[in-house]
Amino acid sequence: MIELMTQPSTTPAHLLFLQCFAASSKEGKTQDFIRNEITGHLLDVIEPMNLTKEAWQKTLDRISLSKNIDEDHVSDPFLTNLPSVLQKFISKKKLNWKKFSDVKVSTISSSSDSDKLELIYVKPGGTIPQHTHEGKENFLVLHGSYSDEYGSYMEGTMQTRDESHDHKPIGNPITGCIGLAYTNGKIKFSGKFSKVLNFFNY
Amino acid sequence: MLDKEKIKKKLHINAMKKIAKSEDIESFKLIYDYFGPRLKSFLISSGSEETSAEEIIQETMAIIWTKADYYNPKLASPSTWIYTIARNKKIDFLRKTRKAVFENIDTAILPPVEPVLDESIDHNQSFNLIDSYLNSLPEEQMLLLKMNFIEEKSHGEIAKITGISLGTVKSRIRLAMEKIRMRIKSEGISFDLNNKNKSKNFK
Repeated sequence: MIELMTQPSTTPAHLLFLQCFAASSKEGKTQDFIRNEITGHLLDVIEPMNLTKEAWQKTLDRISLSKNIDEDHVSDPFLTNLPSVLQKFISKKKLNWKKFSDVKVSTISSSSDSDKLELIYVKPGGTIPQHTHEGKENFLVLHGSYSDEYGSYMEGTMQTRDESHDHKPIGNPITGCIGLAYTNGKIKFSGKFSKVLNFFNY
Repeated sequence: MLDKEKIKKKLHINAMKKIAKSEDIESFKLIYDYFGPRLKSFLISSGSEETSAEEIIQETMAIIWTKADYYNPKLASPSTWIYTIARNKKIDFLRKTRKAVFENIDTAILPPVEPVLDESIDHNQSFNLIDSYLNSLPEEQMLLLKMNFIEEKSHGEIAKITGISLGTVKSRIRLAMEKIRMRIKSEGISFDLNNKNKSKNFK
């Protein structure tokens, strides 16, 4: 069952989560599609501005270099797949990543322990150690997919987890998983190394 | 859509194909000459400085050159595809200059993101619909869309600059988007962008 958390006073972290959730829905994706098409059309009718004289030569230099560059940001899911509202938000701030073995976590916005928005990356085939939740967590899949004891979750879906769930999520072996988690309580590790993990709990 | 524009679009689609197939530099120059100055206009009007605008354009052009084979005319018009790349490059540029630490994520191991649109549907049809609708819009409404999407101004900023009330700005922009959606719907074009991704958990 999904249950979207609503609070009497919506915090910035929670608001951003809701906006990302809306943007990830089918409706939101259609909106994005229409937006992009409108802007693409506007690009056709915009008043062109002359490029500087050396721009063409620089472009040629640039493409002769790019043959050696395999990885390019066009395939960077952080750019192409994050909801634009989140892209805008994080383009303005520095993100610090906390690394665990298969997982990287960055706090996007937080006002207290019971109000936190985090971006979570699980590498392909990676696992998050067995844990449960002290409060509630809404998790929105932004890229790839993951599975746990309760099911398998694709991009654009949202799950709710609380103290009744004890799980060990595994990232899709090919795509990994990027998700956005809004929590109003800590997570509590319950597996083998739980004592150590809880000590370092983020 | 005017015939002239249709011809122009065809020309660009063909150029993209030639770049992908045979690294045709003449086709690349054609794309550069047409889109370069337009992207510059877009970047500068959305707040970039001239030097960074040109750097972003070079980056965008390099992507067009190396990734032209990713372009699918059924999924997007050339101008939309190119605009999307430029916008991402712009965000990328902002990130770099603000020293955000995204490099920590090993993006190299992440596979490319494929468009989620259903390929069996010819979206070209819908692009033509959107184009013809936008061409029929009154100038004032077009200006609002331009300020919102190209100049990336908020509804509030637009209201301040134009002197039109915030409510009217909001409703006019929403109306334009709504009309496009209705047209697409009435033509029976499916926009089930997520149809491959339905989860049993998501009901």
